[in-house]
This record gives sequence, C-alpha cells and structure tokens, in this order.
Amino acid sequence: MAKTTKLSLIGLVFLLALFPLFQPPIHTLSFLFLVFLYIILAESWNLIGGFGGYLSFGHVAFFGIGTYTSALLFQKLGLSPFVGAFPAGMMAAAVAAMIGYPCLRLRGPYFAVVTLCFAFIMDLIVKNWWFLGGSEGIHLKLVEMEIRLSRSIFYEIYLGLAAVTVIFVRWVEHSKMGLGLSAIREDEEVAQTLCIPTARLKLQAFVLSAFFPGVAGGLYAYYISYVHPDVVFDISVSILIVLMALFGGGTSWAGPLVGAALLSIINELLSTYIKPEIARMIYGAMFVAVILFMPDGIVAFVKRKRGYA
Amino acid sequence: MWNLVVILQSALSGLLLGGVFALLGVGFSLSWGVMKVINISHAAFGILAAYIAYWGLTLYGWDPMLSLLVSIPLLFFSGLVLHRFLIQKVTRAREIVVASMILTFGLAIVLENAMLFAWAPDERLITTAYSSRALFLGEVILKVSNLIGFGLSMAGIGGIYFFLYHTHTGKAVRATWQDPEGAALQGIPLNRVSMIAFGLAIASAGAGGVAMAYMYSFNPPAHNHWLIFLFLVVIVGGVGSVIGTAVAGLMIGLITGLSGAFLPFQWINVFLFGLLMVILLIKPEGLFRK
Amino acid sequence: MKRSTKGFWTLVVIVALSWIQAGTTLAAEKPILIGGSLPLTGTFSATGKWVEKGYQFWAEEVNGKGGILGRPVKLIIYDDKSDAKEAVNLIEKAITVDKVDLLLGGYPGTACTAVMPVAEKYKMVYVSMGGHMKSFSQGYTYSFGSPPLMGEWWYLGFFQWMKTVPADQRPKRAAIFTMNNPIGVSLMDSVYKGCKDLGIEILIDEKYNLPLTTADAMIAKAKQMKTDLLFANGMFPDGVMTLRACKSLDYNPKAILQGIGSVIPEWTRELGKDGDYVFSGTSWHYKLKYPGNDKIVKVARERFKEEEPPLYFGFGYAWMQTLQQAVEGAKSLDQTKLRDWLRKNEVKTIAGNFQFDEKGLPKPFVYLTQVIRGTVELIWPPEMRSHEPVYPKPPWK
Repeated sequence: MAKTTKLSLIGLVFLLALFPLFQPPIHTLSFLFLVFLYIILAESWNLIGGFGGYLSFGHVAFFGIGTYTSALLFQKLGLSPFVGAFPAGMMAAAVAAMIGYPCLRLRGPYFAVVTLCFAFIMDLIVKNWWFLGGSEGIHLKLVEMEIRLSRSIFYEIYLGLAAVTVIFVRWVEHSKMGLGLSAIREDEEVAQTLCIPTARLKLQAFVLSAFFPGVAGGLYAYYISYVHPDVVFDISVSILIVLMALFGGGTSWAGPLVGAALLSIINELLSTYIKPEIARMIYGAMFVAVILFMPDGIVAFVKRKRGYA
Repeated sequence: MWNLVVILQSALSGLLLGGVFALLGVGFSLSWGVMKVINISHAAFGILAAYIAYWGLTLYGWDPMLSLLVSIPLLFFSGLVLHRFLIQKVTRAREIVVASMILTFGLAIVLENAMLFAWAPDERLITTAYSSRALFLGEVILKVSNLIGFGLSMAGIGGIYFFLYHTHTGKAVRATWQDPEGAALQGIPLNRVSMIAFGLAIASAGAGGVAMAYMYSFNPPAHNHWLIFLFLVVIVGGVGSVIGTAVAGLMIGLITGLSGAFLPFQWINVFLFGLLMVILLIKPEGLFRK
Repeated sequence: MKRSTKGFWTLVVIVALSWIQAGTTLAAEKPILIGGSLPLTGTFSATGKWVEKGYQFWAEEVNGKGGILGRPVKLIIYDDKSDAKEAVNLIEKAITVDKVDLLLGGYPGTACTAVMPVAEKYKMVYVSMGGHMKSFSQGYTYSFGSPPLMGEWWYLGFFQWMKTVPADQRPKRAAIFTMNNPIGVSLMDSVYKGCKDLGIEILIDEKYNLPLTTADAMIAKAKQMKTDLLFANGMFPDGVMTLRACKSLDYNPKAILQGIGSVIPEWTRELGKDGDYVFSGTSWHYKLKYPGNDKIVKVARERFKEEEPPLYFGFGYAWMQTLQQAVEGAKSLDQTKLRDWLRKNEVKTIAGNFQFDEKGLPKPFVYLTQVIRGTVELIWPPEMRSHEPVYPKPPWK
C-alpha cells in the first residue's frame, strides 16, 4: 500500500479514537459503534466470502453464538463480558470448525443455502431451549457506568477490534493463504491440481471468519443488556453483511470496509430525512443501481477508473 | 396421536399445501437453473398478484381465479421488461449468480415498500363464498379453498412442463440451459429465450401467489416468510427441474403436515431445516436431478 | 478520490451532519419534543402504524387545547424497520441528538424490552406496553406500563367470568397451542393458573414457531382428543389459520380463546362471521366507560373509516395521556420528578385509572372480550359489560 494511503488511514483511526473527547452527541458514538460492528462482520466474512468465493449467508449465527456465550457466562458465572468476549469468539470458531468441515464441501449457492439453514436452526434451537433463555431472551445486569463513559468505552473497543480485523484481513489478502483462497475462488479444481490444500485453507478461512464476529457478539451482549434470538440471530443482518462486502467489493480488503461504512451512513441519512417507505425504496433501488453500474463492487470500480488492474 | 384420522388429515392437508409451495417454487427454480438468476423478488411478485386478486374481489367482486387474467399477463410482461433492462445488464459481472441476487434483493425491497406505501401494512385475507366449504372423505376434511389452490398449482406446473417439453420456445429454453454455447451455435437467440423464460417464471410466481392467498393471510412484508420455503423446495427438488420441484413441494408439504402429527410443533421447523441441511450435505443436486 | 481520503471525508460528513441536526433542534426551543421509534416498515408495521396514529391524534388534540404547560408538543417518530437493534439506536438518537423532552413507547414487546434498559441508563421515563413480566422485573425504575400488554394477565378476565358459569356447563378439557415468542410464553402463565383453579384438565400443550404453515394437524389432534376448550395463543396470521382449520375440520369446542389476533380490525373485517364468538383479553377497549373513549370512536370512524378503533390506536393515546398527566402534575419536564409523580399519583386514561407499583405496573387487570356478530364486545368485568356473552360457542354451519 502506498505510504500516503497508509498514513491517511492511520490518521483516520487516530482521529476516530480521539473523537469521544470532543463530547459529540452520544448517539453519534452509538451510530459509529454500529458501523464498526458491521465493518468487523463484513471484513471477517470476506475471508471466506469475498476471498474464498464461498458466500456464507448464515454468518449472523456466529455473532449470535458469541453474544449468547458471553451472556450465559455473565449470567451464570458472573464473568464480565469484557473478558467473556474471548471465549465467545473461540466458541463461534469452534462451531464454525464443526459445521465448516461438512458444509465447505458444497459449492456456490448450495453453500449459501446450507449456511442460511444453519443460521435458522441456531435461532430455532435457542428459542426452544429454556437453558439458553428460550424465546424470552436473557436479561443482563446493566453496565455499572455513566452512559457516556460506557458508550465511549464500547466505541473504542469496537474501533480497536475493527482496526484489528481490517489489518488482519489485509494481511491475509497478501499472504500465502490469501493467494490460495483467490485461486480457490477463481477455479477450485485448478487450484487442487496445483497442490493447493483447498480443504484446509477453506476451513481455516471459515473458522477465522467466525472468530471476530464471535468476539464482537460477546461484547455486544453487554452493550445491549437484553439478548434475544430475534435481535442477535436476525437473518437480515446475515444478508446485509453479504451485501455490504459485495457492494464494496469482495476481492479486496478495502471492499467490506467501504461497503459497511457507506451503506450504514446512507441508511442513516435516508431514515432521518425521508419518509420510511420511500427511504426503503431508495435503499433497494441503490442496490439495483450499484450492481448495474459497478457489478464487481465499488472498490473494483474505483480502481478500474483510476487505471489500476 | 397415532390416530389414523389425525394422520390422514395431516398428510392430506400437508399435500395440498405442498402443491402450492411447488407452484411458487417452479418459477424460482426455472430462473435459477436456466438463467442463473436467484430471484429474491420472486415471492414479492407473488404477493403483488395476491393483492390484485384481493382488490379484484373486494372492489369488483371478481373471483380470485378471474384476477389471474389480469395478473398473469401483467407479471409476464414485467418479467420480460425486468430481464431486458436489468438482468441482462448484470451478465457482464464475473459472478452472475451473486450479482443477480443483489439485484433482485434490491428489487424485492423496492417492490415490498411500494406495496406498503400504496396499500398499507394491513393484513389481508381472501374470502370467497366457497372459502369455508369443505369436502368430506369419511372423517377427513378437505377445504375447498385448499383444493382450488392445489388445482391451480397442478395446472400451473402442468402448463410450465408442457411449455418446456412440448413447445418450440420451451425446448429452446431447455437447450439454452443445458448447453448455452451449443444452443447459440444452433442459432437460438439466447437473450430472447431467457427473457421469455423469465417472464414465465414471474407469471408463475403470480399464480403461486394467488394459490398461497387462498390459504394464508398476507401483507407486503409476508414475502420474506415465503422465501425460505422457496429455497427449501427448490434445493430439495433440484435446481431447474420442474418435476423435481413439484415432487419436492409435495414432499415438503407432506412432511410439514405429518410431522405435526408426530413431533411437538416447536420442533417442526428445526426438523425441516435440519432435513434440508442433511440433503444438501449428502446430495446437493437435489433428489431428482439426473 | 483515494480510499483513505474518502474515509476521512465520510467521517467529516457524519460529524457535520450530526452537528447540523443538533443545531436545528436548538433553534426550535419552544415545543416539547417527544421522540422515539416505531416499526413503520417491515413485519410489525401493521400495528406500528396504529400506534403512530394514536400518538398523532393525541398530539393534535393537545395542541388544539394550548399544549402542555403552555407549550405545543412535537412528535419525532423514527422508523426502526421492525428491528429491535434499530429501536435502541434510534431512542438514543432521540435522546442525545434531538434532545427530546419525553420518550414515546415503541412496539413490539421485544423492542420495548431492548429500549427499557437504555431509558433507565439515561434516566428518562419510558411509558410503553413493556415486554411482559420479565421486562418489568429487572429493577428498572423509569419504565411504566400504562397500560401494559401483559401476557401473564391476558386471560384473567376469562377465568374470572368462567367462575360465574355453573360448574356443569364449564369446559373440562383444554387444548393449548402457543406461539414460541415472549408474548406466547407469557400468555401461558394465566392459562395454567386459570385451568388449575377451575379444575380444567390440560390434554394438549404445545408450542409452535412462527410463521405457522398449517394448523390442520393441531386442530385434528384437539378434535380427536375431544377437548372442549381451545387456547389459540397466537397473532393474526396463525390465528386466522387456526380458526379456519377449526371450521373446516368442524371442531366445536365450548369456547375458543385467541391470543392477540382478534383485537386488530382485520379480524372482523377479513374473517367475517367465521371470526365470531372468539374470546380474548385486552388492556383497553373503546366501549369502556372511561372518559375520552367516545372521542376515540368518533375519530376512528370519521378519519380512518374504522367501525372499531384498533387496539393500538387506543394504546398510543393512553400512553400519551399518561405522559401528559405526569408533566402537568409535576409541572416539570424533569424526568426524576416525572418518575416520582407517577409513582405516587393515579393516572386517568381511556384504558382505566392506574396506580403504579414499584415495578411500574398497575394492579393486574384484563378485560374479557368476545367477538359477537362482527363487533368486539366487552364481557368482563360485569360493570363494563356491553353485551351478554355467547356461550357455549354455536357449532359451525
């Protein structure tokens, strides 16, 4: 990456980190918190989705698993979610390893549907199992901090996690793993003949792509205080993650970042200034427009316009 | 619970239901298999046709079947237009399946909210004079409206099958699907053929929507619920296979109905999705694809 | 533009926009701002829209009379797209960006349950339907249900009335089908208690997940086991399916109780005669003899062409009445003062007169309703009765 780009990005992160000190409206912190969340989700999804070409439509399940793991650890063992987020991530990764093994043998849309099924099943299992709170959800104790302070802390943690995720995904893109994944994406059979360990790489990517959402979910439980399947196993989040990553462009580390940030901001602007149904229609029309004019995503479009390959 | 009447009742009701799933699924399967377009807005068009039937009934007293005379051509035409102006444009993308999903996702949102804006979120029901009448087979009861929905579905599926296997254009559609290059070499106008197939798919969505409306209440957001069953039916039946989708629809309806007789209802959906996962993992091409 | 500079400018734009927003609200100091979110699009929009209308009607009325404490009221209602996460986000926006003076209650229960802790953190009074008993048992002091939608109380009216029916005419065997979500689960509470009290045997007790694909198996079972009391604890779509299955399978229990589908106008409008004689509970009904209900009926008929004002239209109005009385009573917009006033004083709404306990709930109450010839009538308590109940349910023709 060019030095100037690197410096600007570091500068941006630095500015964002300092942002709470300027006492902005708390809602802006919460809004950016959500943007960071979507960046974490879309970027880590991209490891298996954009890089590997395996579109997981059930990724919200890993977020939900993380949320529930940390919520249960907090409720039953009193373990603070700030600590519990890590086992939450591990749990999500473990589940990913378990189902990834059989599911990654499927290709294309079949993989998409099986992961979607998985997300539905997780949602239903939680709703039907009293131990996990069932369909009533889990109420957690409120964070014992003044609201601006607690929002700022969550903001900084998520900013950090988002930065880490982005850096990690970028590192993967330029690593051997990333090369292997793009070979798989382009043509998996050919990749196999080239002795690329496709099964191992896919599984690794899938597990890694589940870890970060799990951690994010672990923290989210504390943020929202009320954990319910409809909220954390929400299929529309799953779909949104895929759209954000592909909207920005799946083949590069920057795509999901741009996609998540842009879509969140556009959504916010639309809902603030325009009548609800019309806002939603414009939102939908936007997908149509982007896919017509920038079918490989925004980042690829911009790159091409500027003469890059 | 092991009562024969309950089992028979559940099985038959489920079967009737399955027929409707099948009709809704056939167009979805067709557009996915032939045109590689996963049409997320498929069910939304079904809702549109349901609304046309509803307004026809409540404002003018038309029987919902009559409304099909309006909705089928309308939806067929919309399908043609959509394909020509939107879908054909995304064939440039490296991943047409993905691009079509995003495109139709956007389309579904636009359609849903346009209907929401026009007709409000109020729940609608189609109730005709014969809606509550039922046929009796011994102790087992078959609702007339379900039978009509089923009949419509079988007619629709039959029609599509006939089109694909016994008409010139239909055979061209199948040729395009099986071997695009070969078909092109034969002089088949790929774009025109795909357009017609897509129009047909959307029109069948309309018929499926009316059939669904005989059984369920609906409002603009309802298409989201129908979508997951579409995926279920199409995957189990094998993408692109009309007979496969039809059989899969019936099977899934049957399973849904029967499992109600044997399993706690809470677990029916888990069972269904679990079944789908198992099928995908063992035989993703579906049960009927050759 | 380089990617990174694009990101930088995006940030600048966000910050600028939020400052502009804050600025514009500063300029309009005079009105009392009441803000929050409702599902205006998405799955719950059918009901969300009626709450909105209830709020809007109240605001119009209040402003016509000179406002509250001499200031007009202005509603800021965001669309949370039927997503509880958005509801949480938007209530915070209303509080910290629009700097609203009062919060308005959301829908459905899941959204309210998610918002209640936020209101608590910001120490702002939150009047809503709540999220059933669990949400009111978390120790929140700023939340009030006025009236609340308490699944746990929903069938109290039915069982109280049933006690007045001679024992030999009461049903003996119950079939219970409940939707698997917080509302459904809370409904079961009152069912178990009531059945136990009256010695009604529960033969079937099952939960189902939404969306319900078919009710036939459920009703076939209920009929086969000769149950004579049916609890269909669901919402509108599944309620409709259940009723229709009852009719087509010719299942004739002595009484059918439906959760919360029968209280929306579509029930009578779309089902017609088939929806008759179904019992339900409600925390408000337009035929209640509390002042203000006649106005509600008039507005519903003239403006919205609804013969019967929808439940959530009345709810929205009642919640606003509560806020209004709190502000006028405490003569202040200070949230803690409002909370304390609500704790100590009785509030008079179209749904009843409420005295709140430490949970923010009034004493348990629910009115029993029955749909009779297309109209929702009040059956219990007897002093509110608008029509004699039809029991047992006449068999299907």
